Amino acid sequence: MTEVSDRLARCFSSVLPNMTKEEICEANVAALADVDSWAAVTLIAVIDEEFGVAMSPDQLWELGSFQAIEQYLSRQDRPGEQDLTSNT
Amino acid sequence: MKLIDALKILKQPIPEDAPLRRIFLACGFTPLHLQTFLAAHLRRFSPQQRIEVQTGLFADLVGNVERLQGSRFDMAVVMVEWQDLDQRLGIRSLGGWRATDLADILNSVEQAIGRLKEALRLASTNLPVCVCMPTLPLPPIFTPPTRQASPYELQLRQSVASLAASIAGQPRVRVLSAQRLDEVSPPHARFDAKTELMAGFPYTLPHVSELAELLAALIQNPAPMKGIITDLDDTLWKGILGEVGTDGISWHLNCHAQVHGLYQQFLGSLASAGVLIAVASKNDRALVEQAFERKDLIISKESVFPMEAHWNSKSESARRILNKWNIGPEAVVFIDDSPMELAEVKAAFPEMECVLFPKNDYQAVWDLFRRLRDLFGKSTLSEEDSIRLQSIRGASALHELPDAAGSSLDSFLQNANANIQFTLGKRTGDTRSFELVNKTNQFNLNGKRVSESEWIDYVNDPKTFLLTVSYDDKYGPLGQIAVLMGRADCKKVSIDTWVMSCRAFSRRIEHQCLRYLFEKFSADEIAFDYQATARNGPLQEFFAEFLQVDQAPGLRLSRSCFAEKTPRLFHQVKEGGS
Repeated sequence: MTEVSDRLARCFSSVLPNMTKEEICEANVAALADVDSWAAVTLIAVIDEEFGVAMSPDQLWELGSFQAIEQYLSRQDRPGEQDLTSNT
Repeated sequence: MKLIDALKILKQPIPEDAPLRRIFLACGFTPLHLQTFLAAHLRRFSPQQRIEVQTGLFADLVGNVERLQGSRFDMAVVMVEWQDLDQRLGIRSLGGWRATDLADILNSVEQAIGRLKEALRLASTNLPVCVCMPTLPLPPIFTPPTRQASPYELQLRQSVASLAASIAGQPRVRVLSAQRLDEVSPPHARFDAKTELMAGFPYTLPHVSELAELLAALIQNPAPMKGIITDLDDTLWKGILGEVGTDGISWHLNCHAQVHGLYQQFLGSLASAGVLIAVASKNDRALVEQAFERKDLIISKESVFPMEAHWNSKSESARRILNKWNIGPEAVVFIDDSPMELAEVKAAFPEMECVLFPKNDYQAVWDLFRRLRDLFGKSTLSEEDSIRLQSIRGASALHELPDAAGSSLDSFLQNANANIQFTLGKRTGDTRSFELVNKTNQFNLNGKRVSESEWIDYVNDPKTFLLTVSYDDKYGPLGQIAVLMGRADCKKVSIDTWVMSCRAFSRRIEHQCLRYLFEKFSADEIAFDYQATARNGPLQEFFAEFLQVDQAPGLRLSRSCFAEKTPRLFHQVKEGGS
């Protein structure tokens, strides 16, 4: 697991404590809870706190999977790397 | 605290049999993270309690408070925000921000405040209520630029301030300090327009965390500490008395010694609120007494007792002071400008809070006053607060008798002109009895503490009685010093709670209490919900006069046994109305 992945898993686990690590890594946000529920709003707040990235419920919904959210957050963490990746 | 930490705290396991504390959070917005943070901070304060924070209906703050009547919660927290008083003061409604709407908004706020005030009054008859006045900024709806206050804005603020002032004096209502909240949560960084529109939750995470922590502390309302032992040289005044003499010590602005004058003034303020102040100084006793004769001293000599001025160790002084006060070191703060003296006292009394007087750091002195106010602050002052020192002086005279347990005591009590007043009855707003039950350790039947809601339930139970005891003698009044709570049925009396202030020891008041119960209820026997605790030694000794005291609850004392073994009593007994 990458550092971002670890931190994101902790965010998921704090909001959805009954899920195992494996379940979290394969999680799809839409399937976890209604995106307008307490869980989704709390997940957004915890991600904002942990990564300093403010997401909207729509964004979370569009990204969908744990992996997609992780990749999005990695790009936010290293904006220069995002450009490099898109050029290669 | 971060949200992720709050969620972690709430996941920690609690024993199945942990006592449940039910809090109702009344707010007009989605409680969301406030509910989470509040529960987490309360868990942090009381890890062995199960905390349940329940909430009401969205956008109906006043209705939520009105529905509290008759509810079974231990405590209510009421969060008032501007939009609860008129939705147009929030951003989730589009009711109009025209200049011509402002008078109508003001009018509707006044009406909502009237309804809320009545709802809070009714709710607080039933359970304790913590109230937080608006923490968020008003929207920019007023006609002047934001740098200029509008008359409407000022009137809105005045209305809310009037509401806060009127409810803050009610028993069982505690209002969160806006000044304290401003210090920990900057007003400009509180409102989150995005989450307000997205989820109906108007607070930023840092704000809600700080707010919840303060609310949790307000709910906990820990018992205040009882006494301060202070040093003199370079603490109560500037200068070393033995070197500069009584005229050389100073505490005024023109001598660059104002912090010492302020310290005296602050101790005087605490003393006037019933806090005990004593002196522990390595000094010549006669010189100290001379210094205390100075007319310009800010704290009066009468406010200080006892005065330990000699060349022995400070820990010895502290021990003697604790004996005279008859309280434990955990309820006392020791203040000195010498780290070495602080360390010496701390080694002798690890439970005592030992605090450096920061004589050369004015800001730190200011911070010290605030810290002391938090340690000693009380929601309300009682009559007992004003007579505590006087009664301790009286008790001290009693303990200095050559034979305090035998014939001297008989003679002392016979000549004391002692009066005991028993009041059998329940009074609403009897904060003194509640306070006594929850802070008395030594003469305490079982050491049990009660929450405010348990207290209200007990008092409202028609099968229970509440007996309060007041005392005075020629040395002065002690005020209300004992509480007995129990049940009486067909000559059978059972006592659930019995506490007596340590100031009232050695006067045989406890014997008179039992005599009163036997006679009042024509009882043949009294059963006690007795439990030995680590600290109720004086009560155990009292029972040992009559019975073989074992550790089990269910102690019983017969009328004949009591009559046979009780010593002579000299009090004049009166009965008061409820």
